[in-house]
Amino acid sequence: MKKLLFMGCLLFGMQVLFAQSLSIDNVKTVVLRSSDAIKEGTDVKGYYFFYVSDKVDRKTNEYTLKIFDNNLKPLKDIVFQDSKDVNILESSFNGTDLIFLLYNEKEKTFEYQVYGADGNKKPYSYFRELTKKEKRYLETTYLAASDEDQTYKGLYPVDGKGFISNMPSREDRDYTFQIDYFSSEKKKQWTYTPTEGGKRFIGDYLGYFNGVVFLEVLRFGSLFDQSPDSYILGLDIETGKKVFENPTDGKFRFYPASLSVMNNGKAYLYGEFFDLNGNIAKDKSKGFGFWAIDEKGKVQSEKYCSWEMDMSKFLNVSSKGKIDDFGFMYLHNILQTSDGTIYAVGEGYKKVASALGIAAKVLTRNSGVSTLKIKVTDMILLKFDKDFNVKDAKIYDKNSNSIELQAGSEFMSTPLIGKMVKYYYDGFDYAYTQTNQDVSAFTVCYSDYVKDKDYKGGTFNSISYNEGKITTDHLNTKSNATRSKVLPGKLGQVLVLEYFKKEKKLDAHFEKLN
Amino acid sequence: MNSSPPNRLRLKSVILCLLVIHAISGIAQSPASYVFWKDDENLRRKYYDESLRKNSLFISNAPKQYAKDYKEIYDHQFDEIGDFWNSKRAVTSPAVNDYLQSIVKKIIDANPVLQNTDARIVFTRDDWPNAVSLGDGSIAINGGLFIFLNNEAELAFVICHELSHYYLDHTNKEIKKIVDLYNSEEFTTEVKRISKQQYGARTQFDELMKKMAFGSRRHSRENEAEADKQAFLFLKNTGYDCNGIISCLQLLNNIDDSSIYKPFIPEATFNFTDYPFKKKWTEKESVLFGRLITDETSPLSIHEKDSLKTHPDCAMRISLLRDSIKKISAGKKFLFDENFFNQLKQDFFPEMTEQQFRDDNVARNLYYSLLMLQNGSYTSLAIYSVARDLNILFQRQKDHKLGHMEKETRTYAADYNLLLRMIDRWRLDEIASINYYFCRQYEKQMGGYISFKEEQAKAVKNFTLVQNK
Repeated sequence: MKKLLFMGCLLFGMQVLFAQSLSIDNVKTVVLRSSDAIKEGTDVKGYYFFYVSDKVDRKTNEYTLKIFDNNLKPLKDIVFQDSKDVNILESSFNGTDLIFLLYNEKEKTFEYQVYGADGNKKPYSYFRELTKKEKRYLETTYLAASDEDQTYKGLYPVDGKGFISNMPSREDRDYTFQIDYFSSEKKKQWTYTPTEGGKRFIGDYLGYFNGVVFLEVLRFGSLFDQSPDSYILGLDIETGKKVFENPTDGKFRFYPASLSVMNNGKAYLYGEFFDLNGNIAKDKSKGFGFWAIDEKGKVQSEKYCSWEMDMSKFLNVSSKGKIDDFGFMYLHNILQTSDGTIYAVGEGYKKVASALGIAAKVLTRNSGVSTLKIKVTDMILLKFDKDFNVKDAKIYDKNSNSIELQAGSEFMSTPLIGKMVKYYYDGFDYAYTQTNQDVSAFTVCYSDYVKDKDYKGGTFNSISYNEGKITTDHLNTKSNATRSKVLPGKLGQVLVLEYFKKEKKLDAHFEKLN
Repeated sequence: MNSSPPNRLRLKSVILCLLVIHAISGIAQSPASYVFWKDDENLRRKYYDESLRKNSLFISNAPKQYAKDYKEIYDHQFDEIGDFWNSKRAVTSPAVNDYLQSIVKKIIDANPVLQNTDARIVFTRDDWPNAVSLGDGSIAINGGLFIFLNNEAELAFVICHELSHYYLDHTNKEIKKIVDLYNSEEFTTEVKRISKQQYGARTQFDELMKKMAFGSRRHSRENEAEADKQAFLFLKNTGYDCNGIISCLQLLNNIDDSSIYKPFIPEATFNFTDYPFKKKWTEKESVLFGRLITDETSPLSIHEKDSLKTHPDCAMRISLLRDSIKKISAGKKFLFDENFFNQLKQDFFPEMTEQQFRDDNVARNLYYSLLMLQNGSYTSLAIYSVARDLNILFQRQKDHKLGHMEKETRTYAADYNLLLRMIDRWRLDEIASINYYFCRQYEKQMGGYISFKEEQAKAVKNFTLVQNK
């Protein structure tokens, strides 16, 4: 599968699409700047279309932010004037209030606008001014990320209270990240940026529980450090002050990927585990770990399922986690359903020889292309019971996808390459996982490319869970439209946007996945 | 119709229903199934041909200046009218049409100025409460309005009102105004000026359009008041009770909030012993702008919104006529057949329901069928329709063709939104299971209903398919 090519076409397509004139309602013609789904966690609550509706003067535009509900019914038009260099990067909904992140590229500023349940803008906004260094760093990370996979998108709702933002940051010479809390109850903001004891920090937002924001942090001693410390950081939601900072070493070294509050009211961290002296950035994981944790950071219980002992009952897997024909698993998501069952969603990848890289090396010696490439393989769903015992594992076939790596990648560890495929090459087919409110159902979505007798083109695929039953489905995304794009919809649905160049028409309709 | 706005008696959105007990027509199968009205196709074709001739006449008689604009508008107008006569929406069934024509004839006979009218007045199977004069003599009275009327006098007023629009030539006058305005030097100069603006062009253009829209709506409201007045003059000569005007306008004022059937209760219909109702099908979720008041969604101010209304407020319309009506001696509420009138009201519901199916609006068809079933009206037809719709929903969902299905909308009735929400949330296996158990629940009752048996067989097949998947 030539996914990169497909992705490239799609992305290019969308840029062109958004550059096209689009007729909306009574507006003569407008140029769409951005559009996206508005989510509350994974739940799609609506959509926005942001466009320049008029030019006011040389430096100023009139913008219209058209907001639709999740049935694509118009809710509100927000019209305002601002610099011609403004765009909307993100949005989020916390069950009551809505936040938009506006970016002024020229002025290097972020503005977070908050709208209440009454549809009115709150009498305050939150601002952040970027330094040149920060802007450059964000341009290679957050701002470089595609809309499609939302790799770096980081505005998380805190029920009815506010929003957490997680964004890469530069502090002097340190490469770090910045956590911001924006209250939607009243104007209140705090910022946390780790800089102590390291030169480089990577932070993942895990979740919010009992007034504490949970983060997984990797701390690198230097920019070239390959063996980071891992710790869980707890921040007070009201003040932003550190509540705890605990290493992720228990019986094993743990690398949590997400936090869920279970039916028993306890918070659990899910993730992969390593030997106690293992290297999270380099070593292959030994399996999956589950920690019960309280708001003080105290670990109440630990449970581990290893590839060697537990998963091997269901998969042909080596002790290092390599699965036959599948390769290694990149963990995309872990979630628990309402009956307590836990599912881990992963995707396979493996290193293979690159004919292009080898040929280039023979011919030019310094080609810039690695002699290895990554083959992204199938999807996998691992099932655990409520006591975290492995109960099943199923691989879902899809066409594989090759990614040529940069020269030097031969010396990188497989897990590190997995992260690069995710964050740098944007190479996985996985799109997103959605759950319903009570998590009695979830849908995992991913793209594929099919080439057979009846159909040749992109597909949008789903693995759906509903009350204990799992089904799969796919939509063909190729149509008569000049270009098309698939946005997430309500659980089990997608919004298909199709642009018809000749008719200058943008058609939007939902499709349900079975 | 964009270019030649129809003169509506009252355009309101929602659709509602009536209390029905028995079908008017014959009994064909056991258990009793409703037999739909059989339209007179010759009459429909005749009306189409007359409209076509009228279209040619309008075009040939149009002012030579701007002839192209007139042709474009009249052709567009005919597109709509032609589609209407070609559809099954118009009711030309002899019994129903004869009844309507007897009232029309009464009005025409009583008013010499109408003797030579070529108006073609029909009932329609359209479910929204409205009546419309299409401008060329074609006049439609929707079943969705008729079912709310209380007597012939109210119906006669509706006919008089639409006839008045035609008699006063409102549509053609409006067309002329629009053509003249769009070609006026003032307008073209202003458009040219705006299009050359580098900044603020859209805002200025919107302002210009808004100004025009206000002007157009003001004329429409004036036309409505004029049509009311003329309708009164027509009605008072017929022997019908002119108080029908007041009761009809009062009825229209509240029609959006009216319902004759009890609202649909999902858990009453889709709850089976072996497959209980699931709350998550209808549970409310958090929504964006949860406290947003509907009226505030429009960027228009209250004054602006008021200015955009095509019809004057019903209370205002009543006050304009009340004194004149008082002076008229009492007429009758019925001059022809009260029983037939009431039977017709009942029978319109299954007719409108089936029209939704013909128009491929499966959700509406399902909704009306569920209302009939829940209220014990035309039960066999309703059960068959529900089974048929659920099978269609299953197939479309399986084929990923449910994408264009209606979605919840704030202006819809709450119980219809609930059904739309369920359809939206049902998974394939749930639709199959619901229909399987639904058909099983009614199989004894529907013993001799062949079409139902066919739908049940499909439901069983779909259920087996998802069970084995």
